Amino acid sequence: MKTEMKVTINKLPTGVPGLDEIVGGGLPEYSFNIIAGAPGSGKTTLAHQFVFANATPERPTLYFTVLGESAIKMLRYQQQYTFFDPAKLPDAIRFINLSQVVLEKDLGAVLEEITKEVEKANPAVVVVDSFRTMVRKPKSDMDLQSFIQRLALSLASWQATTFLIGEYAEDELRDNPIFTVADGLFWLRQTTERNSIVRKLQIIKLRGQASVPGLHTFRITDAGVQAFSRTFGLTARKRNPPGHRRLSFGVPELDKMLDGGVREGDSVLIAGSSGTGKSVLATQFIAEGIRHGEPGIVAVFEERPQAYAERAASLGLDLETPQKEGKLTVLYLRPLDLSVDETMQSILDAVQKIGAKRLVIDSLAGFEMALSPGFRADFRESLYRMIFALTGIGVTILSTVEVDESFTEFPFSTYSISFLCDDIIRLRYVSINDQLRKIMVVIKMRGGNHAKDIREYEITPNGVVILDKRLVDYERLISGIPVRTDRFRLKEESSDQTRK
Amino acid sequence: MRDLAARLIAFELNAGESSEPIESAALRVYKKLRQSISAFAGAAAFQSLAFRALSQVQSEVPRLWAVQVAEDGSLEGLSDIRSQIDNDMDLAGEEGTILIARILNLLHIFLGEALTLSLLRDAWPVTAFDDRSSGNGRKS
Repeated sequence: MKTEMKVTINKLPTGVPGLDEIVGGGLPEYSFNIIAGAPGSGKTTLAHQFVFANATPERPTLYFTVLGESAIKMLRYQQQYTFFDPAKLPDAIRFINLSQVVLEKDLGAVLEEITKEVEKANPAVVVVDSFRTMVRKPKSDMDLQSFIQRLALSLASWQATTFLIGEYAEDELRDNPIFTVADGLFWLRQTTERNSIVRKLQIIKLRGQASVPGLHTFRITDAGVQAFSRTFGLTARKRNPPGHRRLSFGVPELDKMLDGGVREGDSVLIAGSSGTGKSVLATQFIAEGIRHGEPGIVAVFEERPQAYAERAASLGLDLETPQKEGKLTVLYLRPLDLSVDETMQSILDAVQKIGAKRLVIDSLAGFEMALSPGFRADFRESLYRMIFALTGIGVTILSTVEVDESFTEFPFSTYSISFLCDDIIRLRYVSINDQLRKIMVVIKMRGGNHAKDIREYEITPNGVVILDKRLVDYERLISGIPVRTDRFRLKEESSDQTRK
Repeated sequence: MRDLAARLIAFELNAGESSEPIESAALRVYKKLRQSISAFAGAAAFQSLAFRALSQVQSEVPRLWAVQVAEDGSLEGLSDIRSQIDNDMDLAGEEGTILIARILNLLHIFLGEALTLSLLRDAWPVTAFDDRSSGNGRKS
């Protein structure tokens, strides 16, 4: 069928931050939806947010309450949320209690009552809370099926977008006619993991448009439900394929090792043990970006922003001024009971707010430790999604990771996340002439050439400086315990002979 | 809440017959509240509120012990004290005002001012909340 002949389905704002992205741009107008979940999972709050976002005096919302929670108590609590606008009652939002008719009459009478009110008010949105209590004792399965179908038909004909709220368990999904008739099925879950509550939302079904599949973390705050899309809200943004620009590290010799610098839009990992200068390099990277007019974000987990800025100042890097000018944001994230998606959303919000081009995550170990144990299982997967989403819009990410120093192996990361990174720079200690010195090597640079050299460097008052003199007289440098090369030994022996 | 109750009763008084007793105006306010709250929250919710309000008033006005709140929220037993009401209209008006004020006060406690006024606006025109509607007393 030609595109212009197809019906256009309007999308209504859900009123829930993050949810529009998840449902594919908004909720289909005139759709018949179920919000299901256990008690306390946020069903009513979610419905209220939708209602307050869409109700107008011209096309009001009818909110039918049935047994269950008293409307007075419900509104007593719901009005605490910031989205709740009492001025919308009663003209734009009308609460109607159906308990009496449900208790005393059959489903036919309930349908009649709903239809009567709908005809009178011509609502754009209808909510039944709780639908489960309304249909708790149908005469037969056919009675229930017929009621649901007639209700769905009637409300759609009256051009109402409908939400039925119910406390359902997941094993009820099968064989329940309500789920067959519904156009949209929103399932809210909450589980306890150790000491944390983990709330997740799933769009099990949504006719007419593509929603983001999978489980999405959500949170209930003073502002109501906030959902965190697994795509971090970036699917709707125009992808900005990274160009061919090379970004300077602020360390000239390292830029040379990287064939001119980090490719814009790459994800770079700096791995090394404690004290090898990972954070120093990361700070130089962000400061160099600011010097080139590229706003940056530093997400720190192991030290406070003030301490971070002071340490940068000790290297001659001014991070205070760009922060005041809005070119740099230092995020200190100690989320504790936040999910990894929420934490990443904080980073994304900061990136989008200042139009950051460079992002430093210092460090991945601190990031993971800051999460409550229940969320750590999702860490790698969420990190992958965030890196993919951000680099897709042209942000260059530098993450640091601490690795245990070993003299028998040369790990790149303890997280098995090297596959997430386009470029890996490895820092490590080596023992030379009874000194603990530092070497650096570019392990990987996806799609590009890079130096194969192992270079010695020092951390100076001006930051990381790569030394000119190469350690060509040593082999097995990456073991941490290098030995003199045969050539060097022969040279030494030859010198000795000459002296004799 | 007492002022608001008095204003609503005065509005109903102005809207009714000039010969109508204050008690009837208070009952009309009660009836409108019952309809409005029952539609919004169910008859059981209104019955609970009214029962609580009446209990509070009964401790101040012992003769109202004869009055009960029925399951649908309506007041029962008023006929038993009709003769007393007829003999002392001022007191009856005062009792009606107190009862309405108690109900409004409970709504205010549970819903806050904004939502309580929203509910009332659903049952009465804006002018009912105007000082002027209660200033002239009975409709002439």
